[in-house]
Amino acid sequence: MSADLNIHGASLSRRGFLATGGALIVAVSVKPGAATAAAGTTLDATAPASWIEIHADNTVHIRTGKCDFGQSSIYTAYRQIVAEELDMPMSAMTEVITGDTDRTPDGGGTFGLLRTNVLNLRKAAAYTRAAVLTLAAQKFGVAEASLSIKDGMISGGGKAASYGDIVRGGDFKLTIPVSGDLMSPRGLLVDGTPPLKKPSDYKIVGQPVMNPTIRPKIAGQMPYVGDIKLPGMLHARTIHPATLGSTLVAAGKVDKALYPGAQTVVIGNLLAVVSETEWEAVSAAQQVAGETKWTEWKGLPGHERLFDHLRKSVDWTVYPTRDGRANRGDPTAVATKKALKASYNVPYHKHAPIGPMVTLADVRADGSVTLHTISQNPQHLRGMIARMLDISAEKVVVRTYPGPGHFGRSNGGSAGTEDEAVLLSQALGRPVRLQWMRPDDMQWSTQSSAMVADIAITLDDAGRIATYEAEHRGPPMQDDRLVGALLAGKPVIPAPGAGVAYGFQGGELNIADAWVYGTVANVREQGFGTDQLGEKSSPTAVGLRDHSMRTPIQFQQNFPRESAISEAAALAGADPIQFRVDHVDSPRFKTILARLRDESGWVTRPSPAPTAKARGKAAVRGQGASIMLRDNGYWACAAHIAVIPETGEVKVERITLVADPGIIVNPLQLKRQVQAGCLMGVSQALHEEVMFDEGAVTSTDWSSYPILTIAEMPELRVIIAGDAEAGIYGQGSESANALAAPAIAAAFFDATGKPARRIPLRPDHVKAMLSA
Amino acid sequence: MITIKVNGQDRQVNAPEDTPLLYVLRGELGVMSPKFGCGMAQCGACSVLLGDEEIRSCITPVSALEGKEVTTVEGLPARWARHSGSAAKDALHPVQDAWVAEQVPQCGICQFGMMIKVTELLEKNASPTDADIKEALTTSGPSPHLCRCGSYAAILDGAHRAARLMAGEVK
Ligand code: FES
Ligand code: FES
Repeated sequence: MSADLNIHGASLSRRGFLATGGALIVAVSVKPGAATAAAGTTLDATAPASWIEIHADNTVHIRTGKCDFGQSSIYTAYRQIVAEELDMPMSAMTEVITGDTDRTPDGGGTFGLLRTNVLNLRKAAAYTRAAVLTLAAQKFGVAEASLSIKDGMISGGGKAASYGDIVRGGDFKLTIPVSGDLMSPRGLLVDGTPPLKKPSDYKIVGQPVMNPTIRPKIAGQMPYVGDIKLPGMLHARTIHPATLGSTLVAAGKVDKALYPGAQTVVIGNLLAVVSETEWEAVSAAQQVAGETKWTEWKGLPGHERLFDHLRKSVDWTVYPTRDGRANRGDPTAVATKKALKASYNVPYHKHAPIGPMVTLADVRADGSVTLHTISQNPQHLRGMIARMLDISAEKVVVRTYPGPGHFGRSNGGSAGTEDEAVLLSQALGRPVRLQWMRPDDMQWSTQSSAMVADIAITLDDAGRIATYEAEHRGPPMQDDRLVGALLAGKPVIPAPGAGVAYGFQGGELNIADAWVYGTVANVREQGFGTDQLGEKSSPTAVGLRDHSMRTPIQFQQNFPRESAISEAAALAGADPIQFRVDHVDSPRFKTILARLRDESGWVTRPSPAPTAKARGKAAVRGQGASIMLRDNGYWACAAHIAVIPETGEVKVERITLVADPGIIVNPLQLKRQVQAGCLMGVSQALHEEVMFDEGAVTSTDWSSYPILTIAEMPELRVIIAGDAEAGIYGQGSESANALAAPAIAAAFFDATGKPARRIPLRPDHVKAMLSA
Repeated sequence: MITIKVNGQDRQVNAPEDTPLLYVLRGELGVMSPKFGCGMAQCGACSVLLGDEEIRSCITPVSALEGKEVTTVEGLPARWARHSGSAAKDALHPVQDAWVAEQVPQCGICQFGMMIKVTELLEKNASPTDADIKEALTTSGPSPHLCRCGSYAAILDGAHRAARLMAGEVK
């Protein structure tokens, strides 16, 4: 081949001939001007960090910068989608390489894996297929249009060859157009419009492919993040400040008689103990912590005053107000008789991974920095570590491993420990493995923001919604700053705030809960933002840091909306499911609501139930519903619960979830994702609320931050009925967790006649609601 | 020096006597399947079998274990081979097989402790009900076995399938 070939805007070159082997490797070309010239924006296929490699033995390697957290989409759906686009068998997708900054592309955060992220691989596969067709046409001496591909065999003009045959002996490089910045929080996007396969032609997408990583994991053969060791490694424990705004007065000293091998390290307000053995580090850290003095700081309202504080003490005019996209008409100009006005509260939630964060950092004398960690955004983490150390990002490599799910906490890079381990390794000149203890992980990680909402709904004479007004208020949902760097006084990215353009650090509160009641003529939804609590007054600029968690912001806005819709249905004397059917405009919603009514054991009638009672020892029962639209996926949920008024106990007896999330890539994995996400939602609805006093988070362990146990698991009916024409791949874990809370709250109203306008439905809150 | 039997092998332990078993297994003996979750017997991520009983290795000092026998997930296949008399190469314990067949784990960090607890249950109760499984994973030990990912429905499916596998009812 003489000149490079143009493949739908990508360029295919042959760099030589190989006696053995041969491969086609996808590389990227960053459009000039489209990306910053920062180091690392150019990926060389020889590195190799390409998306797809086709080998002469007909095997394919897939690389993605995203990381799997057990939902398996990267190992199942991604392989299916690439195999489908290439028209190769699944068995050819032999390896998936993920999330290591020195050997994977993409960058950006691991979220919406099947929404935007998968498009990079899908397009890379489409370019590759087109390139192989071009090569085959040359080889066969026929027109490309006469070729077809089936099960990895390209045929036409009476000839046939496999992908491997086409690349054998060649050293092909396919350079595809991308834009963006590898190390920015959003990463790279593959550009152009290569011809994509029509979903109606899918054969591999839709199959219940097993997750190949489960066997090695449960056999104990696949190392988890905390299992990685290096020669000469030290173990470390951080001793975090007494409050989220305390500074170090005097560090305690190691009792050498008890802990001869331990020593302290102090970098600004970052204090740690290290030792050759982990248990000595743990024990010595406890001893040193007891003797360390910190300044006092009080900059938080405390969880008991939280909602009052948000409603009464915050100036909501500093941040620009955000309007909902569905706003229309003028709710204030409509006069009606029946009105609901209600206020709703959602507390802070913790991501609360079962294992506290852990990182092994290796800072060498040659200036190289390697992190062995878990992250949903390793490239941005790499950039932030380079910024903290004021070194070139070329020096930093982030390697990732399976680890505890933390549901969005690290989608901007950091979940905790990464920066602290690096600073300690740099100070000591040895590899340092730092694991947070349970209280560190509860107190020094970010949380999902609390939000409050005020909703007004009026009904016309026919009992239909005439106007809907909602004001949502809350602190920002994403702070990706490195907390150890803050304590150590090292450079970090900008704090979240009004108008901050960096990454996801803009602090305004968007309306994230897509409006679904399209028949309502007058709608006004507004979002009001403010600073993170305590951050501005904290001398270390820490405060109560926030971070997105499954279905971020939409969870906090959907609970009030759907709870209010259920209450409005009662005001109208209508059945809550029928009321929703009457107000949505999407046929997809009507379909799943009908299904929900059939499958859930729903009794059509208005709430509250005729048997509703707010007093007594006997259980009262109720049913409630909720719906949500997310990423062009349609969700509906019914909860059946029992309440014992006297004790305030709420038992969720059955959850029915009907989802039309779009094209079902893998029904087996999606079912597991949806079941699991849904149960996390039940946990949030029943138990979860971060407690804090005026300076510190006081939810420090599983007794002060309880989550759902298996004994509390309701009967779970999950029905996934995807619309194959929806033009989007269905995903599960997100969305699924958001529906339980409003459905359970509505069932509580049905059972007791008292609205539940806050979560969690814990006995103390329930008793207060019932006596209100 | 203390000697404990781990997954069928006598292992000498140099760590100080108050060191919890979890740190000995992971730090000294290279047995990595028990995970650190809370260090306070609140979650079950660190569970191992001591003889036939599930214990929390994060709070059990190694000094209490002289001469005792510890089984972790790494040792489950050999434990099953001993119980069943079968010795197929590369075979897993039926609980592990069930965990694969039912695609139980999400992130998986809790599942090592879950599999240990379910093994303990099935060795005593060959055909447990839903209620038995729930009881084993909540009130029977020092704390519930917690899964943050919410894989409980899958765990129930996994435990029932494991029971059928152990009874030879399915392959
Ligand atoms: S780590 Fe031992 S019970 Fe949680
Ligand atoms: S599977 Fe993630 S904690 Fe259980």
